[in-house]
Amino acid sequence: MFKNKLGQRAVRLHKTGPQVMQEVHACIGCNECLLACPALGEPLTIDVLNRETLGGPISRPVAQFARACYQCGACVAPCPVGLHRDAMMMWLKVRLLRAGWGE
Amino acid sequence: MENGRGRSGEAGYSWLYHAPTPRGGLRVLIVLLVIGLAGGFLVWYVRSGNDASPDSPIGLIYASIGTMLLLLALTLYSLHRRSHRQRVLGGLRASLGWHMALAIMGLAFLAMHSFGELNPRTGTYALYGMLALVISGLLGRLLDRLVPRMMATEVHQALTAQGDDRIETISQKLQAIVVHNTQSIRGFAAPDEKRNPPGNSLVPLSPQRALTWRDKTLHTPWDLAYISLEPTPQELSRENGQLRFISDKKSDFLRPGALLPGTAEEIDELEVVREAMRRELFYRYVTRYWRRFHILLALVTLGLLIWHIVYALQLMLVPMLH
Repeated sequence: MFKNKLGQRAVRLHKTGPQVMQEVHACIGCNECLLACPALGEPLTIDVLNRETLGGPISRPVAQFARACYQCGACVAPCPVGLHRDAMMMWLKVRLLRAGWGE
Repeated sequence: MENGRGRSGEAGYSWLYHAPTPRGGLRVLIVLLVIGLAGGFLVWYVRSGNDASPDSPIGLIYASIGTMLLLLALTLYSLHRRSHRQRVLGGLRASLGWHMALAIMGLAFLAMHSFGELNPRTGTYALYGMLALVISGLLGRLLDRLVPRMMATEVHQALTAQGDDRIETISQKLQAIVVHNTQSIRGFAAPDEKRNPPGNSLVPLSPQRALTWRDKTLHTPWDLAYISLEPTPQELSRENGQLRFISDKKSDFLRPGALLPGTAEEIDELEVVREAMRRELFYRYVTRYWRRFHILLALVTLGLLIWHIVYALQLMLVPMLH
């Protein structure tokens, strides 16, 4: 989220795959996003989440977290390096959706 | 429960996705137990012939418990979200679960406190406010489940299989088609690029201009008086053939590969992607503004509750003072 000219918090659209990959690589692994997340049900390490966001098979805890994420954006503000974990989670959702359709 | 698990890990994102946790089950059990016990006691109390009115001792106890639960629901989750101390992974979700559980229990206690007396008074308005607040919260949780799934479907449409922006990909295809077709038309219509610039290749040539560019092939004799300035029928036929875009069996545009097809299809696809992005944006606004609506409703309900408490205290204290 960012502030537009009117000072209101505007809504961002999704990010592309390459942008998401770039953000995952820029993550410093501080866990602040996961600590601020109201959708995370069971403990999950940020490195596992990052690795599975980049590609490869998605494990059960990561898939459950991706499905439970409701894009509230609470993870964006605490990130010390200004990354968008909500966009990364959306990318995981799309991957799950496509995998379910056999794509 | 989601069971879409393949060889390559988890797959699928169903609408009815649900992942129950042991803590969640315990919370539901506690809520049902508390409401059941409080309801059972109230039924016994009323059947025993005791005073069944909101301002009876039991009614006031229920009101106090309901108000306390409501206030806890209002404050605990908000404070936990803003607090930076003793945070644990998954702690906020548990807190959200308790936020809902406390609100439902609070509503139940306040409804029991009314003893079914729904007169148009302050207490009834406060109860209606509480009911609307709990319903808006439950609807919000439902939206939280459905809307991200809808958003993911739209994002799937807006991205290619590799995750690239489909608008950009389609735009590049469109540009390639336009460039190819423009080059075909230019190459076809302009035998002499210097005298007949590409920008004018689609404009029918006047007889005078035709003569001007023809003079290279038809050598101008020394005596122009013997030459007609009007183009010959053969020349006219050749020119018309070059500049006509109506389907013609001899036209070069019908040559396979002369013009790339698919412009209309690409533009339609572009529109589909743009629509998907508009819907995605709309869904994002829905979730965001629903949360704000819920907070607004909580503030209104709090106001109604304070109004009712002040009114009830006046009713109770004034007779005591006199």
